[in-house]
Amino acid sequence: MLKRNRYMDRGTCLVWVFGDYADYFQNRVTLQLIAKGKALASELGTRVGVVVLGEDIGQYVMEYVAHGADVIYAADNNALKDYDVELFTAVAASWVEIFRPEIFLAGATAFGRELFPRIAKRLRTGLSADCVALEIDRETGAFVQTTPAFGGDLLADVVTPVMRPQMATVHPGIFRELPHDPFALAELIHPPLPNLPERKIEVVRRRKEKARRASLTDAGVVIVGGKGVGSRANFDKLFQLAELLGGEVGATRPAVNAGWAGEERLLGQTGKSVRPRLLITIGTSGALQYTAGIRGSETVIAVNRDHSAPIFGLADLGIVGDADRILSLLIEELNRRL
Amino acid sequence: MHIAVCIKQVPDVAAVRIDRERMTIVREGVQNIINPSDYQALSLALALRAGLGGTLTVLTMGPPQSEEALFEAIAAGADRGVLLTDPCFAGADTLATSHVLARAISRLEPLPSVVFCGNNTTDSDTGHVGPQVAEELGLPQVCGIFEVQPESLQTLLAKRVRDGYLETIRAACPVLFTVKGVSEPVLLPGLGSLQSAFSAGSIVRWGRNELDLTMDETGLTGSATRVWRLRAAPHRTKGEILTGQAHDLVKEILKRLEAMSLVEEEQIHG
Amino acid sequence: MEGIRSGAVSAHHNYMISGMLRPGFLVGDPGSAKGFYLLADFLLPGENTPRISGRFFDERGDMLLELTWNRLMLDPADCLYRPTPYGFHLSKSSGEIILETTTRRFPNGYITSFSGRLYDEKGVLKLDQEGSSARLVGNDSIMLTAPYQGCFGKEKKNA
Ligand SMILES: Cc1cc2nc3c(=O)[nH]c(=O)nc-3n(C[C@H](O)[C@H](O)[C@H](O)COP(=O)(O)OP(=O)(O)OC[C@H]3O[C@@H](n4cnc5c(N)ncnc54)[C@H](O)[C@@H]3O)c2cc1C
Ligand SMILES: Cc1cc2nc3c(=O)[nH]c(=O)nc-3n(C[C@H](O)[C@H](O)[C@H](O)COP(=O)(O)OP(=O)(O)OC[C@H]3O[C@@H](n4cnc5c(N)ncnc54)[C@H](O)[C@@H]3O)c2cc1C
Repeated sequence: MLKRNRYMDRGTCLVWVFGDYADYFQNRVTLQLIAKGKALASELGTRVGVVVLGEDIGQYVMEYVAHGADVIYAADNNALKDYDVELFTAVAASWVEIFRPEIFLAGATAFGRELFPRIAKRLRTGLSADCVALEIDRETGAFVQTTPAFGGDLLADVVTPVMRPQMATVHPGIFRELPHDPFALAELIHPPLPNLPERKIEVVRRRKEKARRASLTDAGVVIVGGKGVGSRANFDKLFQLAELLGGEVGATRPAVNAGWAGEERLLGQTGKSVRPRLLITIGTSGALQYTAGIRGSETVIAVNRDHSAPIFGLADLGIVGDADRILSLLIEELNRRL
Repeated sequence: MHIAVCIKQVPDVAAVRIDRERMTIVREGVQNIINPSDYQALSLALALRAGLGGTLTVLTMGPPQSEEALFEAIAAGADRGVLLTDPCFAGADTLATSHVLARAISRLEPLPSVVFCGNNTTDSDTGHVGPQVAEELGLPQVCGIFEVQPESLQTLLAKRVRDGYLETIRAACPVLFTVKGVSEPVLLPGLGSLQSAFSAGSIVRWGRNELDLTMDETGLTGSATRVWRLRAAPHRTKGEILTGQAHDLVKEILKRLEAMSLVEEEQIHG
Repeated sequence: MEGIRSGAVSAHHNYMISGMLRPGFLVGDPGSAKGFYLLADFLLPGENTPRISGRFFDERGDMLLELTWNRLMLDPADCLYRPTPYGFHLSKSSGEIILETTTRRFPNGYITSFSGRLYDEKGVLKLDQEGSSARLVGNDSIMLTAPYQGCFGKEKKNA
């Protein structure tokens, strides 16, 4: 006879994650949220489910199963081929009304941040933004969603006491994904589709962005140079490095003042804020006015010749060395590998 | 064409300091400014109106002094301002904030064909309000644009950068845009005039009664979220700090880049 | 609830059938000596070729062939089995397609889809072509969430 599998032990599935597969393999936030959602679900005695909308989504469904999803809610439909906020809102909101999850999470990606407010509004429920921690409060049972406030110096713990689901977008890179398990099985549900609104927005052109100016704040990789870079010639190497890694260049106040980079590249309190996956900061001391603009970065690598530089307090990897030497070697090595 | 722009007055972040002991922001001596991305939204709206003609209405919800933001916008060329102020609007989360804004926009005559918001504010930075106003008004939304131009009488072409791609988007009116990344927003104070800003009737004030809202729909009571507590952010824990030969250090950096799939792993040549 | 379809899905390999992913499925009884069956077996990680077995008939109910684990075992109607880069292709001597399988490979798994039409021993349609994929007709399929461990008709006779 067929063996009974764990997926068949159906219980409720009250923790949901929105499956954002755009820019897949770069964007792992959905996998991170499945792991976190699973932990929350086990505390609540329930399961974690992932909502996957689109056309030909099989490989994403399987990836989410391999990374721990207990249930997949899927619509595989030509009408959902391209991301569209109104269409996805209509589908997700109607499914929430059928299944009534308690918690609904999405990555704070560009799409998550414009989709989730709309779904929350349609459901008349609360949403917290760009959370850096999520937990169930032991005493009250409240789902506490922690979001950075005032440039990240304070944390606000937000709760949604009455309305459901409790919705949150979550900063990428905060939680750790579960390892890929090819043996995993999950329940697959195809709920009915509501009447779909017509598409009112049309992307007429899409091309790889070259113009540096507009994309610094959206870049996945940012290379920042400070005063310690030393000269304009050295600073120009940052552009080479950025080019090799498909990234953008930022600068601290002294580097801008020295004329090594334009004002539009200034990061920090009086400049731009960036939230790249990777930020490499070279020859910067780590003044608060500067770090205010880079706090959202997922991974920070800092290069400074002074091992006691405050910037190391913020770095995931600190490299004590000469800015120019490290830059030159890194560029050489990357060029060799091309 | 009637264009509406939502603007919020925020403290100038460059000057704000946090009192970590008392967990409050020190606002003394801090100037209030128009939220930077709203300022950019206003610049796109002014440019659009310059091309198409029509009227431009700015709205803000906030305490009575937020009127300054409206004056500033009118001085830059907006035709009129709507100040949404009422003690019961205080403490609103984004659900309640967007409700008041959407209700006010729906009372404007004629109904705006284009609504602009900033992408996000520099104070609480949720970025929810634009999409939520669009949802309540039943409008499509295009978020994060830095340029918009008329294509025909009824359609607009907007540009934005998304996931490293430059996208050109066609949207039919009515539509809501949120704006960010305009490189040099130009607001020329001379365009409108301070005279018109202060002339009678250019600013109306609407409260709960004018908007036919119940207490339950606004402010803290109309909100679904609560800020439970504020606490100091723990300082980020240190990662590894490595010293040594530059070659070895660069290898460590490359390992990280490989782990993040930013570079391919070194092929081992046999 | 009405309109909700559900089943299981595997992280490693699934069949795309009736618009849904399934880790494996069975229609009919492979243990029967004569009747129609279609077995799309569950694959374990490490296995990357789907195992298909079945006894297929034409629309008049005449037997065409029997396939066991992708191998043509009985072929009374002179059908043709041809491997393709993505699966295999079964056709009648006239060239008409009976069944074709296509396995797509992704970085982390495989999905197999079908095209063709299958009939049972009474000439009743069991698998139909719907656009570019296939749909099971009727509600008599069983989902497999582990490899098939039953026997096939011939083995039973020998035992
Ligand atoms: C109100 C206000 C607002 C401000 N806003 C901003 C802002 O928005 N953005 C901003 O960036 N700054 C801002 N500042 C300035 C800020 O306080 C710092 O002065 C600035 O960030 C320091 O830049 P830096 O790290 O490049 O230079 P420094 O602080 O001079 O640090 C240079 C670092 O490079 C290292 N170094 C030197 N030589 C080498 C070498 N050969 N190899 C490796 N490392 C080397 C040194 O050890 C040192 O740590 C503001 C200041 C004020 C008062
Ligand atoms: C520490 C803290 C944490 C918070 N966390 C949350 C939370 O997690 N979830 C939540 O729902 N609320 C939260 N709030 C409440 C939220 O800040 C308010 O609802 C606020 O009124 C609107 O949000 P925002 O400033 O983030 O606007 P955004 O959504 O960032 O603003 C986008 C655009 O909407 C327009 N807009 C916004 N507000 C106004 C206004 N008053 N008048 C005119 N136009 C406006 C502007 O064009 C603006 O650029 C929090 C508040 C604080 C102080």
